[in-house]
Amino acid sequence: MPEGTLCNKSPIQTEAQLKELLNDTSGKLYYQELNALDVDSDKLWATIQKTCKSRIRTWLEICAHCGMCADSCFLYLVNKRDPTQVPAYKIQSTLGEIVKRKGRVDNAFMQMAMETAWAKCTCCNRCGMYCPHGIDMGIMFGYLRGLLYAQGFVPWELKIGAGMHRVYRAQMDVTDDDFVETFEWMAEEWEDDFPGLEIPVDREDADILYTVNAREVKHYPEDLAEAGILFHLAGENWTITSSGWEQTSLAMFAGDWEACKMQVEHVYAAMERLRPKRMVGTECGHAHRATVVEGPYWAGRADGNPPSPSIHYVEWLAEALRLGKLKIDPQKRIKVPVTIQDSCNYIRNHGLKLATREIISHIVEPGYFIEMSPNREHNYCCGGGGGFNGIGLYRKQRNQALVTKRDQILATGAELVIAPCHNCWDAIRDLEEEYKIGIKWSFLKPLLLKMVIVPDHLKPRT
Amino acid sequence: MFQKILFATSATEACDHAARVAFDMADRYQSHLTVFHVLGVPTRAYSQVVVDIRTGDKVILDDDYRSWVEEEVKIHYAKQLETAPETSIEVAVGLPHREILRKARDTQPDLIVMGGSTGRDEESAYKRSVAGSTLQRVAKVAACPVLVITRPAASFWGGFSNVVFGTDFSRASDNAFDFAVKLARQLNCDLHLFHALDISAMHAGKLADQDEIEDQIRAALKQMRRRYLKRVKDLPNISIEVWEGLPYVEIVKYAREKQADLIVMAHHTSAAQLGEARLGSVMEQVMVRAGCPVISVNRSIS
Repeated sequence: MPEGTLCNKSPIQTEAQLKELLNDTSGKLYYQELNALDVDSDKLWATIQKTCKSRIRTWLEICAHCGMCADSCFLYLVNKRDPTQVPAYKIQSTLGEIVKRKGRVDNAFMQMAMETAWAKCTCCNRCGMYCPHGIDMGIMFGYLRGLLYAQGFVPWELKIGAGMHRVYRAQMDVTDDDFVETFEWMAEEWEDDFPGLEIPVDREDADILYTVNAREVKHYPEDLAEAGILFHLAGENWTITSSGWEQTSLAMFAGDWEACKMQVEHVYAAMERLRPKRMVGTECGHAHRATVVEGPYWAGRADGNPPSPSIHYVEWLAEALRLGKLKIDPQKRIKVPVTIQDSCNYIRNHGLKLATREIISHIVEPGYFIEMSPNREHNYCCGGGGGFNGIGLYRKQRNQALVTKRDQILATGAELVIAPCHNCWDAIRDLEEEYKIGIKWSFLKPLLLKMVIVPDHLKPRT
Repeated sequence: MFQKILFATSATEACDHAARVAFDMADRYQSHLTVFHVLGVPTRAYSQVVVDIRTGDKVILDDDYRSWVEEEVKIHYAKQLETAPETSIEVAVGLPHREILRKARDTQPDLIVMGGSTGRDEESAYKRSVAGSTLQRVAKVAACPVLVITRPAASFWGGFSNVVFGTDFSRASDNAFDFAVKLARQLNCDLHLFHALDISAMHAGKLADQDEIEDQIRAALKQMRRRYLKRVKDLPNISIEVWEGLPYVEIVKYAREKQADLIVMAHHTSAAQLGEARLGSVMEQVMVRAGCPVISVNRSIS
């Protein structure tokens, strides 16, 4: 049963293994080894028998092959209506086949399934809305990814990503010390402008526990500063945690179920330790899905909820604006044509469409907001969801996938796209880089900071 | 005064004038110089792809690439390094302003030296979105003064002896003043205190009569004496002046007349511009027009 030194069925367990994999530039050796990787059919079938429960078995069985899902899939539309991009076909020809053949599939089949699972589906779950039987191919692809991961058939970057969570409990090599230190650094940078700005660490029984995306810590700590400043201006009793602060989960994209569980349990432990009234996560879609929507089930929580009630940043912001905790200077509202990207993970899959519209009503001058078409829960994926953005092997397919969002944005005539999700933000930046349509894009926090009224007692002395 | 200098460079021609000043200063003041280059901007989500700042290429980052870039930086400054073998060369990955600030926070230099804009990559979507200008972002929040050279520093001959301090009487200007005084004392410089009375409003239709202008000049002079002069009585060569006009033009003219080899000014940015830090427009204009290095001071110098 040949397994490679880098490409194999064992997940990353140590920092040394992680570095070794990282140093294999572009996964050159990794992908060579992938060609020789054996499929452990017995294990695959055993896993399916244990984990493929009635819902997925029923879905596979009752699909009538009606093709209603075809037009719901942006990847089908954007790839010249290629029949192999029809969601039902994609899942039946991969997961369906594996189940049918009781796991007796070979390396070539698994590589085909890998490409289908990571380059032909972003797990946006749009097809599930349009299927007359309610079959959700996105959910099934998430499951298929788990089977593939366990057999070692996973894109190089995602094996690294899942490994990061296993080693650092974060999607990047950011330690707990780095996190706290960086947040404090941001307070230092802005304390002159916002006297009294402080970053409470491990405050117990606070109203809000704020969790983030490790990339903010590593590359864009301004985002942390902006979050801290807005909580400060809103007068919130908030805190960060010195451990368990990472809300995202590349392990979810990778299908590394064990690491998914490790990651959310780490965050839940912080909630149990600090007992915040609520947890607020940053502007990230999949982080919300991982920690708030799916995480409780990974962690085996009977009530299906995290230990503390948990909301997305847009929910907190909408509430802060509604209650007047944050007030907007009407003169400074956005006065350019602007649209908003509905993130699949918390709009379609968690029903927060009204929160973002409420925010828009506060921050955009009436008449300047243009909806994309379709929008809200019917909106298309940004083109880079589900891990698609970061996989070098499928760059070409990803760039093609961006065309849908490009055309949607162009049709609005917007100059600014608000993207309160890291993945969407990345995809929209990349589509501007790739297709140069002359747009700007932004998270909500920096926009808010430009227009929020600083209460007199929080202004610096002049 | 300048024991540790952090020279943040793109290792391109855009920073060559700044390099000259940085190496000269290190030599003159026996400073430890660190040449710091941020090689790339991380892109493509969690992938290992970075955009190389110098070439604009998308590259896969690994140890080989990093050492190759380090070598390139050494080659770019080969001549200067011959006479300054103690210089450290360091390379980092990230958004340039953030990594420069991170480095400065770690090593606490007495001064950051930077050059002008590389002016390239205007086409790059990434840059347009996140980097208004590295310089502006660094100058906004750096805990130490930032020295900027965007033009050939004609009147700089390896040391400072003749310093112009420009003020608008703000609190930030007080910080800049403290620094200018410390520098003048330690390096035995002449110090010229200067304020420009902004009469640009006249172009907008408000015509002030000359008496009013002169009254304001007298008031400004009085304020300068009260605010600054009493604190520098011990300095042998102090001058004080208020001119009317467009502030940045007047400061540049004044510095030229005094043959200044350094201008010290405060930095102004409002917090609302967090995402797109801008220097105060006067500072920005002085930086690009002055014939000598300009030091921007934002925070109090401990």
